[in-house]
Amino acid sequence: MIALPLVAVVAVVAALRATFERNTARKLPYVNVLNFAIAASIVLLLDHPLSLVAAAAYFVGSTLEANAIASTYAGARNQ
Amino acid sequence: MIPALEIMFGFIALVGGVSAALILDYYGKLISLGILVAGVIPFIVDRGYLDVAITVSLIAPIATIFVLRVVRRADA
Amino acid sequence: MEATFILGLAILLIGVLAVAFVRPKTYVARLINLEIPGWGLLLVMLAYDETLALLTFIAVTAISTFVIVRLMEWRDESC
Repeated sequence: MIALPLVAVVAVVAALRATFERNTARKLPYVNVLNFAIAASIVLLLDHPLSLVAAAAYFVGSTLEANAIASTYAGARNQ
Repeated sequence: MIPALEIMFGFIALVGGVSAALILDYYGKLISLGILVAGVIPFIVDRGYLDVAITVSLIAPIATIFVLRVVRRADA
Repeated sequence: MEATFILGLAILLIGVLAVAFVRPKTYVARLINLEIPGWGLLLVMLAYDETLALLTFIAVTAISTFVIVRLMEWRDESC
């Protein structure tokens, strides 16, 4: 009962910290925290066997997206 | 879903949308777009469309990676 | 249903204003801002129970983004 609002509060705090951070490279850890919280809330929202697959797909996709942004940003900084 | 959770996830989506509209940096815009998608996904799951949620969470990073190719070319 | 519909309309309005009055007046910023009303329209379409329409809309949005990206790359090489 308490797990889902707790995860949602973590997600809101992470989204606010990621939004109001000035440095672009420091935004990415907070975005990772937000993605983990959302992947947990997908599982906790709906009791269905396929929700595990949905959470795994969201986890893989969001991690891939954040890593692609970080890799391109680091490549652009080094040049 | 209880109304407090709807308010929280809707707030995440609104913060992502407004900051994606207002931030001037391209990488910051893409990160804010990720925050917007993270706020939209729980609403899709809550209505029971798990196949739509799987499709969205697999296609949204691909679109971001396509945009990232243009951003790298425009930034360099 | 009502919360999803109103949130979708708000994000759609924010995205349309962001595309119309884009701040760094470049094609890349306009392309990134063009993805915001897509998600708002997805939330509006979620209020009407049509699974196939949602899947088609997501796929066509991704394909049109890919087409515009290819067009921008081709235009930079030809000029």
